[in-house]
Amino acid sequence: MKSDALVLPRMQVASGGNASPLRHRVRWGERLIQGFLFLCGAVSILTTVGIVAVLGRESLLFFASPEVHLSEFFGTTTWQPAIERFGIWPLVTATLITSSIAMLVALPLGLAVAIYLSEYASDKARAILKPVMEILAGVPTVVYGYFALTFMTPLLRSIFGRDVVEIYNTASAGIVIGILIIPLVSSMAEDALRAVPDSLRQAAYGLGATKLETAVRVVLPAALSGVTAAFIVAISRAVGETMVVAIAAGAGPKFTFNPFEAAETMTGHIVRISGGDLSYDSIDYNSIFAIGLLLFVMTLTLNVISQRIVRRFREVYE
Amino acid sequence: MRYKLLVLVSLALLILAGCAPAATPAPAAATEAPAATEAPAAESAPAEAAPVEAPAMSESGLPEVNPLEVTGDIIVAGSSTVYPLTEAIAERFADEGYAGNITIDSIGSGAGFERFCVAGESDISNASRPIKDSEVESCAAIGRTPIEFRVGTDALAVVVSPEADWLESVTMDELVVLFSTATTWADVNPDWPAEPIQRFIPGTDSGTFDYFVEAVYGEDEEPILSAANTQLSEDDNVLVQGVEGSKYAIGFFGYAYYQENAELLKILAVEGVEASAENVDNNSYPLARPLFIYSDATVMAEKPQVAAYINFYLSFVNEEVIRVGYFPSSAAALETAKANFLAAIGQ
Repeated sequence: MKSDALVLPRMQVASGGNASPLRHRVRWGERLIQGFLFLCGAVSILTTVGIVAVLGRESLLFFASPEVHLSEFFGTTTWQPAIERFGIWPLVTATLITSSIAMLVALPLGLAVAIYLSEYASDKARAILKPVMEILAGVPTVVYGYFALTFMTPLLRSIFGRDVVEIYNTASAGIVIGILIIPLVSSMAEDALRAVPDSLRQAAYGLGATKLETAVRVVLPAALSGVTAAFIVAISRAVGETMVVAIAAGAGPKFTFNPFEAAETMTGHIVRISGGDLSYDSIDYNSIFAIGLLLFVMTLTLNVISQRIVRRFREVYE
Repeated sequence: MRYKLLVLVSLALLILAGCAPAATPAPAAATEAPAATEAPAAESAPAEAAPVEAPAMSESGLPEVNPLEVTGDIIVAGSSTVYPLTEAIAERFADEGYAGNITIDSIGSGAGFERFCVAGESDISNASRPIKDSEVESCAAIGRTPIEFRVGTDALAVVVSPEADWLESVTMDELVVLFSTATTWADVNPDWPAEPIQRFIPGTDSGTFDYFVEAVYGEDEEPILSAANTQLSEDDNVLVQGVEGSKYAIGFFGYAYYQENAELLKILAVEGVEASAENVDNNSYPLARPLFIYSDATVMAEKPQVAAYINFYLSFVNEEVIRVGYFPSSAAALETAKANFLAAIGQ
């Protein structure tokens, strides 16, 4: 290999005659860096492959065991692996409730922040506001979890009454997840809005549009693909959020649509179950991989949809 | 711009990381960080150690141990309930000069016997129940004869919120219904409110869960796990917060956790018997269980540090056991444990 590489350029130089010697010289430093960068890229791909393989193998073990039937998994509403009840719905509904509440909070607020930052804010205001938003994104989620439990839950209880709102409930977890992903929504949406060329704004003003009309009727539709992508990434983030729900949402699977009751999400269940000392090869242990696989499929689907939307609705301005 | 942002964010992260432990009491309490546990030991042990040492040794009826002269490591594994007690004694042992390492794994009584009797990896096995015949047999298969040392008694505390003014006491039959089929309190007793019961119980991996199921449901997990409105957690603080936070909640956990949070919770008498040292001692409280450590004569002979530690354990257990939050075992049980120890070391 090494000798080949060394011989090749000399031969080419000899035959090519007037070809630039620089073009054909092997630059080892360059190659080294290229190889290193390729390796870095490969690591993330291999990690993904590894995760999918492990998830797949362990969940296969779960679904292959005689106690588990797919019809039971998707068709019943009690999840209690210790006594062989495998209906996934209580975990899924809790996940959907927390994520929907989170989106109800994060989408309007995040979008409003994005519109303000890109259309209204002066450079000075933006220079202060954006870093502050990013700080919000840097707060560890465990802090948000206790924020939900020790601030949001008492607040909800004082509004709706102690007997209506349970101490652990999906509403407070959902609201706090919403706050947690506002920076994500606003910064991605703002990038999309800012990417809209100024000529469109100028044209709208030229036609007599107000600032609000320009922002909402011209800039926002033009940036629709980017904004939608931001929303969908935010949904995946909300579905996958773990620490907040583990602390504040509840610690027992419960099939309910009432956001003021305690219920356990998929991620919260995985954390709680793997926190104890489960023996490997037990059905409880394998069941958490099945939940993990379902979560992975859910977020993957969302990401694929987001890419489709970006491609479908992208408006290209020259 | 970008760069500045990055610096700001990482600064914020650093600051927050510094604050995080203060905001998260639960994980801090869960770790067996020496710093966290050293404080109480440091305030009690050295002060007591010097004057108490000589009389306690002669009183205990066991040969004197000088922790300074003990070398070598000790491996302990087993019950999570016994864990705090074994740890407290280990700390005191270290405070008085023992320089080796004591590894204590909190893995549950069953898993502890697995290590002790099947793998033969541990020197001492913590247990919150007596050893089973099957476990004695597996011990015999690897040439070990487990010796039992009773070190204390734990009582399960059945607790409700202080706002729950309709009950002071429950019967065992009521407990069975309360933690399984009943939906509202009125389903258990028509005089109680027709509000849904919120249940907070220890997770299925804990010995406390196993013991409750055994004592109340005769080892059948089905009823308690299929109950609606049940929150399970291995973290007792989660249970304490849950019960404290709602008028219609009920829960149970080890007495130690009740004692730590006594002002936030109301403990129920079971069958009219209160969980007190006296009632636990005379076996009238129905949800009390013995705490043991187990070892083997050969192990104690081969590793003198193990014998020294058990000796130290039995000499001081009654001083530590209350501080940890359990009840001392009866004088007779402790005497038996000491006699077992003397027999094991051949004196």
